[in-house]
Order: sequence, then C-alpha cells, then structure tokens
Amino acid sequence: MDYVEKRVAQEASKPAAANDSLFTPLNVLLIGALLYTVYTFIKPKAPIALPKEEPAVVFKTFTPRTLLPFSGENGAPVYLAVRGRVFDVSRGRNFYGPGGPYANFAGRDASRGLAKGSFDEEMLTKDLDGPLDTLTDLTRDELEALQGWEDRFSEKYLVVGKLVAVGDENKA
Amino acid sequence: MTFFDQLMLHFDEGVTGLFAQWNVYSSLIFTLFAGFLTYQIVTRKDPDAHPFLLARQAQPSAVRQQGESPVYRSQAAPHGMPLNPGLNVKDPGVSKWAKGRDGDLRDIWRQAVAGVQEDGPSKGATGRILTVLGSENVTEHRLGELTRQINLIGQHIEDQGGNRVAIYLPNSVELIVTLFACAFHNLTAIVLPFDQPDDAVISMLRRSAADTVVTAPGSFPFDHVVKSYPSLRQLIWVVDDGSAHLDWNEVPQGTGGSVNVSTWQDIVNDGPAEAGRELPPLESQKEARDVTIFWQSKPGTAEEMVRFTAANLISAVAAQIFAIPTSQRMGPSDLFLPADSLANTHTLVLTLAALYSNASVAFNSVGAGANDLAMCTRGIAPTILVATPAALLKTHQETGSALTSAIARNLHSLLTRSLTQEGVMPTASAISNYYDRYRPAIGTRPGKLRLIFTAERVGAGTPPLSSSVLSDLRVFTGARIVCALTSAKVAGAAAQTGFYDYRVFNDSRSHFGAPLTSTEVMLRDTPTVKNADGQSRGEIIVRGPCVAGNEAALGVEGQIREDNTLAYL
Repeated sequence: MDYVEKRVAQEASKPAAANDSLFTPLNVLLIGALLYTVYTFIKPKAPIALPKEEPAVVFKTFTPRTLLPFSGENGAPVYLAVRGRVFDVSRGRNFYGPGGPYANFAGRDASRGLAKGSFDEEMLTKDLDGPLDTLTDLTRDELEALQGWEDRFSEKYLVVGKLVAVGDENKA
Repeated sequence: MTFFDQLMLHFDEGVTGLFAQWNVYSSLIFTLFAGFLTYQIVTRKDPDAHPFLLARQAQPSAVRQQGESPVYRSQAAPHGMPLNPGLNVKDPGVSKWAKGRDGDLRDIWRQAVAGVQEDGPSKGATGRILTVLGSENVTEHRLGELTRQINLIGQHIEDQGGNRVAIYLPNSVELIVTLFACAFHNLTAIVLPFDQPDDAVISMLRRSAADTVVTAPGSFPFDHVVKSYPSLRQLIWVVDDGSAHLDWNEVPQGTGGSVNVSTWQDIVNDGPAEAGRELPPLESQKEARDVTIFWQSKPGTAEEMVRFTAANLISAVAAQIFAIPTSQRMGPSDLFLPADSLANTHTLVLTLAALYSNASVAFNSVGAGANDLAMCTRGIAPTILVATPAALLKTHQETGSALTSAIARNLHSLLTRSLTQEGVMPTASAISNYYDRYRPAIGTRPGKLRLIFTAERVGAGTPPLSSSVLSDLRVFTGARIVCALTSAKVAGAAAQTGFYDYRVFNDSRSHFGAPLTSTEVMLRDTPTVKNADGQSRGEIIVRGPCVAGNEAALGVEGQIREDNTLAYL
C-alpha cells in the first residue's frame, strides 16, 4: 500500500502538462488501432472454396478376366458382378474383401452364389473366357432371392461398370 | 530495490505517462473507434445464403460414362431419386397425406380461380389479371369472366371441328385464355411467335398442321394465308374495342370461302350469360394434349418446332416454383409482368407458375423485341418481371451513365459491397433511400420490384450479361436477378442462377447456376473439348421430365466451374 500512496503523491506533485497536440504518442497509437480495425472490416474477403470432391469413377466394361484383379487384395477396390452389373462393394470390405465370409465373390460374377445362398467355390463360373452364366436353371425362389440381393446392392453400392463375356466388349 | 521492482516501476511510470497525454483529440478518436465498432456490430447481417451453399451449387454423380462428365443435379434433387415431375395437386376429398397428381395446365387455372389453399392470412386470396394499354389504361379482368371465355371459346372451336389451334397474338390475356381453352377442350395448342413475316407465319402454320387460328387483325396476312394454306378451317379475330363495330365476320368476295370467320367478342357476347360459368369437371377428363412451340434462333434461320407434352410443361412450372426459397415464393401480393414474349417457353412457364401461385399477372402487348423496361411497366408497379437480356443491358447502360457524381458512385460501391462481400441484399435504409433518386424508372412505384427473371437463349445471339452487370442491376433496381439458360427443347430453363447468389466474377458472361429440380445436366466430349477426371467440359446435354423427348443436346460447349455451376466454355 505504501507504494501506491507514494506513486499517487508523486504523480499529483507533477505540474499539469498543457498537452493538446494531435500527434502525441497515445493518439498515434489510438489512430493506429482505429485504422487497423477499419481495415480488417473493410478488406475484401477471399471467396470460400470447398475442397474439390472426389472425381467420378468412369463406368467401364469388364470381362470376367479383367474383373478378377478387383478382389480387394493389396488395397485394390472390391468389385463383384450381379447379372451383368458390376458393383463397387469396397465399403463392405469386411464382408467381400480378403478374409471376409463372402471373399469368394470378390472380382467374380456372384449371381449364382447369391441366388442359391451358397458361398462355395463351385458357384463361380470356372471358365473366365467362356460365356457368362445364363442362370436359366434357377428356380423361382432362387431368382427372387437374387432380385432381393440386387435391390439391396443397388441401394447401398455404386454400379461402376458392366460385365460381358470375352469378345463382347465392343457390342452395345 | 530489486531488479524486478525497478522494472515494474519503469513500467508503471510508462503507462501513467502515456495516459497522461490523454487530451481532447484522444477522446475524439476513441469515440470514433467505439462508434465504428458499434455500427459494425449493429448493422451486421447474416448472408442471405450460407457461403457453402454458393461454393458448391450442384451435386455430381459418383459414376460417369467414358467420354462424358458426371451428371450434375440440383442440391434439392438428389441422385437416385426421380426429378421433379409435377405440381403434386391434391384433389378435394383425397387424403391429405396421399401423393398428389402431377397435374396439367387445367390445374393451373383451377388453382388460379380457387385462390390460396394453405391456411394463413391470405387463404382464399386470388390474383388479379390485368391488361396494360399504356400508363392511363389498365383494365382488370374478373377471373369468372375469363373462365367463361375459356369455356365459350373452347366450345366454339370444338363445335366448329377445330383440332389444332394456332395462337398468333401478342402478349395478352386472350393468348393465355386460348391456351387454357385448348387444355380444357381437348385441343392442341400451337403458340406462334408474334410479329413475323408473312412467309414465316404460313410456314409455321403448315409445319404445325394448324386448322384454326386465333389472331388479331392487322398483323395476320389473312388473304395470303387463305391462298397458300388451304387447310385452314377456322379463324377467330381478337378485335380491340375501337374497331369492334366493324363487321369482321364478312369475308371479302373470292377469298376465304371455306374459312369460318368469327370474332372473339361475338363468341363471348353471343353466348348465353349463364353459359360456361363452371369449368369442365375434373372427373373423367381426357388426357391433356401437347402444346407446340416455335423456337426462334437467329433471324433468317427457320424456327425450330418443338412439341411439349403437358407433363413437360407442368414439370417446368413446378421446378420454377420450387427454385424460389419458401419465404420468397410468389403469392397474391405479387404483381407479375412478362416483359418478354410468351411464345418463349421460359416466359410462358414463369407466367403459368405465377398464375398457379395466385400472383396477379399483368399483360402488356410486347413483342420479342421489346427492350425498354420503363415503357413496358408504365401504369403498373410490378414486383416480379421477366425481361430480355437486351432490355436489362439497356437499363444498365442508361442508369450507369447517369451515376456521375462522386456521392452516387460511392453509394453504389457501398451497396455493391453489401451484396458481393456480405451476401446481403440491401434493404431500405438511409443510404438506399438516398440512392433511390438514381434508380431506373421501372414501374409506377420504384422499390416495389423484387425479382427479375432473364434468360440466355442458346444459339439465338442474346447479348451476354456479365456477373458484374447483373450485380450493378441488382443495386440499381433493388431486385434479385435470376439468369437462366434456355433452349428450344427444354421447357422453362435448363439451369439458372441461385436466388441468393450475388457473387461477381471476372467474366464477360455470367454463369448459369445449377440445374433446376426438373433437369440434370451432363457434358459430352466433342472433337475439340474433352472431359477428364475433375474437369467437366463438353457439349451441354440436358435431361429430365421438362425436356421434350427427355434428352436434348444444346449444341453449345459448356463447362462446370469450381463452384459446380454451369457456364459457357
């Protein structure tokens, strides 16, 4: 408290300086603050730019052989085909990717397996260069099950291409 | 004293010394400072649209075809969902929650007559239909009388065996009435652009196989048509009051022997007073017929004939209504003026949207070449205007060249700043009130105008409107401006700028915003312009329920910009 009293007395004893110039250091500081604030409000704002979205995937025509690499191995996307439509099921990697319960379907035509509800190796078309599975021998129930899967896939996953037999790539 | 105490003492002395300098100027500066901050905080407004909404206006599809760009859609029409097909009309007696019908032209007139259906202060309010014949002569048409005309004219044409009705009229209430008469009486309407050379009129009649013409005397080459187009069966003159006493039914000797000539006024006045008061019933009404429109491109080239189904038109009307934010929708308090030819589907669709929204509509017999907004709006104070780019450019030039004083120009840049930097449409304030004296004379009460629609017509050589010109016009008129891209085969617009998009770019022609909820846009490779990942450019292709034939290539090269808006390349 001593200090405060001492300082007050000290200041009071000073002669009142007649000081009415515009450019005192204090006024310069105040003007500076004012100009800076005005500038920050007035300066043109840069337009907002959102990050660019992922480029769209190009729709491709696959044959059983060119579809094969998309099995999810080594970080590749996981594709599977249902009745000629190729779905990107990478988001369901836990199911369709390597080690998943449906891993057999990855990179293959899964129509028959899905229709029959079987994940076995023999559901897949063996001959990669032969014609596509025509599915003509399926029963009505099996076709219905397949339709159910297809509807679910169409809701959840993107169709990124179509599957055709080797040799049919350029047919419409 | 320790070193620290010494330091603090110095500091204390320094601060005291600094504030000891406080004087009258310091107070002044401080007051200014506080005043500025207060002003900024008090007048601060949120932008009309969130900046993120403007930064990405359309959604691309996740998959694209080789040689094509992704498909772009409005943010309000997600991929995988059907595009907006219609008006969702709820018939009386049908459950409130049931899905409504898409509707057709008949539902637009029914809605116009019935008035606002939503609960609220304006429930039951109907719009007014006006004809403007100069600053002193504004006539109002009662809706009931127009309904009667729709019924009598439609019945008359039907009784005389008409089937395909060509409408060759300037913008007028009779044009709209004939259109509705065709819709209600199972006739095909053909809307011809007005004020064309004789040969063009005959060629359009021939190509559209019209058997009936509704037109005004003086502009229609009757003798010529009768000689060279024998399929014409029926002609209805729309006679103005000044010459109604003449006997228009008398066909000159030797001409038009097989053509049945009558006048609009006779059909309406000779009908029993009680006839045609009620619209034909909704139940068991026939499928709506097509409407044929002629698209005019550059002078000297043949008009392109396009058949729009009722579904095309209604989808376009629904999309235009939807494109305006809910709080700004057209309503009974609005006065809508089409200052562009109604033979353009863009103008026609907007006018139908205004009728469906129960806005008042004024008709002024402008042709396509009308480019003086002050002239068009004499005698009325429209709140919504459809104007040609040429008319807007003229207004911009006239108003801009009058802004010579330093005060005016500073005010202008202040208001422009509010628009482009803050994204806020300037509302009435001391500044904008002072600025009123510089505004263009649009309408009898300046400041009423709130929205202007304008459209680039693909391949028709419309003068370009840059985004800075559009911004200037927003400041000049105090109205928002929506700039659309229109084309022959697309009813309404293919894409249009956002209602709240006031941004200015360094361009010579403004972008066209995002697709509407009834269209999707895609760009296809051309021999010179190719798409690539992250770069969409090529010929503009538009698809959707409002496109005749569902898909149309516009024949111009376009690109999708950084903010996912469509622009010419």
